[in-house]
Amino acid sequence: MKIRTLILAACLILTLGIWLPAAAGRPVRIAYLQADIHQLASWVAMEKGFYRAQGLEVKVAGIFKAGPEEMSAFAAGELDMGYVGEAPATVAVANHAARVQACAQVNTEGSAIVVAAGSPIKTVAQLAGKTVAVPGHSTVQDFLLKKALSQAGLAADKVKIIVLKPPEMIGALRTGQIDAFIAWEPYPAKAQTMKVGRVLIASGRIWKDHPCCILAVDQRFLKARPQAVKKMVKAHVQATDFINRHPQQALKIGMKYTGMDADTVRLAMKNVNYTYRLSVDGERQYVEFLSRLGYIKVKDSRAFVAGFLNTKILEELTGK
Amino acid sequence: MTPRRYALPLAVVALWQGLSWAGLIPAYKLPSPLAIAQGLVDLVLVGMPPGHRLPSHLFYSLYRVAWGFFLAALLGVPLGLLMGWSRPLRQLVTPLVELVRPVPPLAWIPISILWFGIGIKSAAFIIFLGAFFPILLNTIAGVRSVNPTLPEAARTLGARERDIVLKVLLPGSVPSIFVGLRIGLGIGWMTLVAAEFTGVRSGYGLGYMIMTARDIQRADEIMAGMGVIGITGLLIDWGLRVLQRRLLPWK
Repeated sequence: MKIRTLILAACLILTLGIWLPAAAGRPVRIAYLQADIHQLASWVAMEKGFYRAQGLEVKVAGIFKAGPEEMSAFAAGELDMGYVGEAPATVAVANHAARVQACAQVNTEGSAIVVAAGSPIKTVAQLAGKTVAVPGHSTVQDFLLKKALSQAGLAADKVKIIVLKPPEMIGALRTGQIDAFIAWEPYPAKAQTMKVGRVLIASGRIWKDHPCCILAVDQRFLKARPQAVKKMVKAHVQATDFINRHPQQALKIGMKYTGMDADTVRLAMKNVNYTYRLSVDGERQYVEFLSRLGYIKVKDSRAFVAGFLNTKILEELTGK
Repeated sequence: MTPRRYALPLAVVALWQGLSWAGLIPAYKLPSPLAIAQGLVDLVLVGMPPGHRLPSHLFYSLYRVAWGFFLAALLGVPLGLLMGWSRPLRQLVTPLVELVRPVPPLAWIPISILWFGIGIKSAAFIIFLGAFFPILLNTIAGVRSVNPTLPEAARTLGARERDIVLKVLLPGSVPSIFVGLRIGLGIGWMTLVAAEFTGVRSGYGLGYMIMTARDIQRADEIMAGMGVIGITGLLIDWGLRVLQRRLLPWK
């Protein structure tokens, strides 16, 4: 009797195991960037069970060190949705590597150019002839640095731009291997609390309200499971509202995922604006500037933006 | 140089191009040979990142490899000769060599950056690690392959130890040393690209160029860069073989 029940139970579990995921769809494969406080909403949605509340099963399929790497994973078909910078996503789509759309904003602002604490550099123009680290070519930060330089009247080739992964930047700044870096929060905040660096300029002063990270969706996934995408966006909106309403609780989640102390994460969050509203004008600026840099070739930026930003899902959800 | 030698590569390229045209190979996964050729043209004319052109990338990479390889040969050949010649020295040093040798040069990258910073020194160090051990081991093997009666005969004829090393053991092991140099340079060249992945100060280097092309999602330029690395490696090896034939006509 006991054995028969056990066998029956085992069979049931096995069949369920095979059938249930197919029926409910396999888990949504998502990705985010390592310790990027911009993407706090993805961590909040996981920790607070917002995905689960939507009936979604989510699997973290990748944690990346920079946006271009995450876009390569999209190109390889390894991801369904991901939190990623708007610039690398734009470049990947324009260069026909990945087919994704932005279905929600994640944050605006939230990066900074940091110089050594005792550095004599006081203005962006004084970066002439110096070595500045960026997290990667075609990242939001690469874009912001070049924008800041052009605003200061400096040609991009007047500054030595090198690629370093953000976790290595503070060490490189401390040992004098670089004169400055630009990175997403919490690295600028960490450099300050460690007393290694000082913010030269916050990215909101380079370009006010500049779009930064987006929630990207693979077009094939959107076509196959539009309802799941809608639920993901809903959870994202919920998580974003949660961060703005309960910053103290969000702070704790940020500390858990970045592994950094309360002071650093608090300072970092101050520099980030959490929002889910997509900006058409912001994306057009990205497209035009990236084209000017020679990273992409887009003839009709207006048409590209219309194809890249998917505002429909948000409109349906928020009624705006 | 028979046409048959080129038949297979040409057939593969033609088939590849055909499949790409037919839409069976998606361009974002594997660009067609023609797209890669266009990527190569872009690398030369536009550069990656834009403004950083291919010849400079190639030059910086060769410069780094030259340094690393030169240091490896400078240290590896004399040490190999001494270790081949002296049994106590060999017994003393071999355990250390065998301990360090299996560590992949790339595993040294974080330490190398810590010790030497980002730049020519750390890149040269990584290449040195790749090139050193093949040179050392082949030199030792070369010395030990010299017919033991030769140094004995030299000794009975009144030769000094110094002369035995330089005039008997060295010439006798040159063919093997050359093998070591060729393998060492090959491994050094392979290591270089990965060493440049971790960041270079100058903004130039073939590995750095490929990483940048990856950041900007240009698979055609990645493949073109790989082609340049392969062909350069082939040319370097060919150069060493020509040199070997000149220096060792009897081989």
